[in-house]
Amino acid sequence: MAEVVEKKGKMWVTMGMVRSGKTYCFIEETLFLIEIGALHLSDENGICLSLKEVYEKLSDESGCYWELFEVYRHLKSLGYIVGRHGIAWSVKGLKIKTGTCSLQGGEERNELLEMEPKGTSSIIDLFDNMQINEVSPAFDVYLPNSRFRKSSPGDPSFSLYLSRGNPPSKVEIEALERKQGAIPLKFCHVENGRVSFFSFDRVELAVLP
Amino acid sequence: MKARWKGKGSEAKAIADPMSKIVSQLQSSLIHSKTHGLLSSCSVLVEVNAELADLLNRACFGRPRITAEKDKEWFQLDMEEAFYLCFSLKCLKVVGEDGCIKSNEELWEYMKSKKAVFPVFYRAYSYLRHKNWVVRSGLQYGVDFVAYRHHPALVHSEYAVLVLSEGDNDLNGRLRVWSDVHGTVRLCGSVAKTLLIVNVNNNSHGAISPSCLEHYTVEERTITRWNPEQCREDQAVLRI
Repeated sequence: MAEVVEKKGKMWVTMGMVRSGKTYCFIEETLFLIEIGALHLSDENGICLSLKEVYEKLSDESGCYWELFEVYRHLKSLGYIVGRHGIAWSVKGLKIKTGTCSLQGGEERNELLEMEPKGTSSIIDLFDNMQINEVSPAFDVYLPNSRFRKSSPGDPSFSLYLSRGNPPSKVEIEALERKQGAIPLKFCHVENGRVSFFSFDRVELAVLP
Repeated sequence: MKARWKGKGSEAKAIADPMSKIVSQLQSSLIHSKTHGLLSSCSVLVEVNAELADLLNRACFGRPRITAEKDKEWFQLDMEEAFYLCFSLKCLKVVGEDGCIKSNEELWEYMKSKKAVFPVFYRAYSYLRHKNWVVRSGLQYGVDFVAYRHHPALVHSEYAVLVLSEGDNDLNGRLRVWSDVHGTVRLCGSVAKTLLIVNVNNNSHGAISPSCLEHYTVEERTITRWNPEQCREDQAVLRI
């Protein structure tokens, strides 16, 4: 998670998460911007990190960050707007209703209630808890839209679940669908640097005459 | 995917001649003629007159065998087709090598012994046939069945069907790995079919006898590939 110190340009309309007037980037957004040369990342001493050092930070044998980043980059490069699933772009104007967010876990509710955080460090702590896990979609994806606004993004076009290992079983798909409500669900898979997307939609063939 | 009718007038022909009616006529005709089939390995052979031959062709059951015989025609039915006529439509009897008529339970045991996946395959076959889809073997497309909206002469098949069952019970073993998903979806696309997964759940009823079938539940899903390069226009009617 990175805190944006200085912003320039239109990219921030569709990137970063706003909390109390500050903008924060998730790791995949950060890396995307660094790769395209649009962001400098400094460590706590103000020293700029090289791309190599950033890749090293991302290197994670147990996690799935590299694959998530590949998915993020693929969609972002094509103009889609990609946010972390269930994380609000901004809390401005958000009403605190238990019914609004289809989330699991208490971290998000804490975050929404704490509209006036005590300090930057507590935000970081909260966000560290928002790990992408294996039981919910990773991203919410919006079609390219020049009128996108973080304060009212609307519903995503679909949520995206990163499938690792084997294709999802019927049971797994059903569990994910139950939490999705009306928003479509897609599955992506990364192999050999290629990202592919599939839908596993319920259908019912018509009874023919 | 929408239905792709072959040539002008095909759709009209199909509407004028609904499959349910053709199958119903086949059923009556088989009952009336007291037709018996002969069990032979994984096929059932039936000897039929011209009227029945025509109905079998129009309803898409079996394949005609070209023989030198003049008055009668021979048809070869797949196991699912034969069992559907015997058990679901109750219009065919099947005789074994001993010359005795096989009961449904005996046929069931026999067919299971030839093909372990027969129970779930049959459930999927009968499920789709019952909805008046034409169901044929999908072997040449690397899938279990292909489903047509009407006779294959009138319409291209829309669905390539794979039959899957729950978890470890799945003897079909398909789509366990991503490469199979990729390959199957790609193949289906190249022959203009949508991949349809028919999930059969036996609800722990096993497969002792055909009466277990009524406890099997069926769910359908399609697996389609989404190409983000093609979907970027912000259209209200976008089929994402």
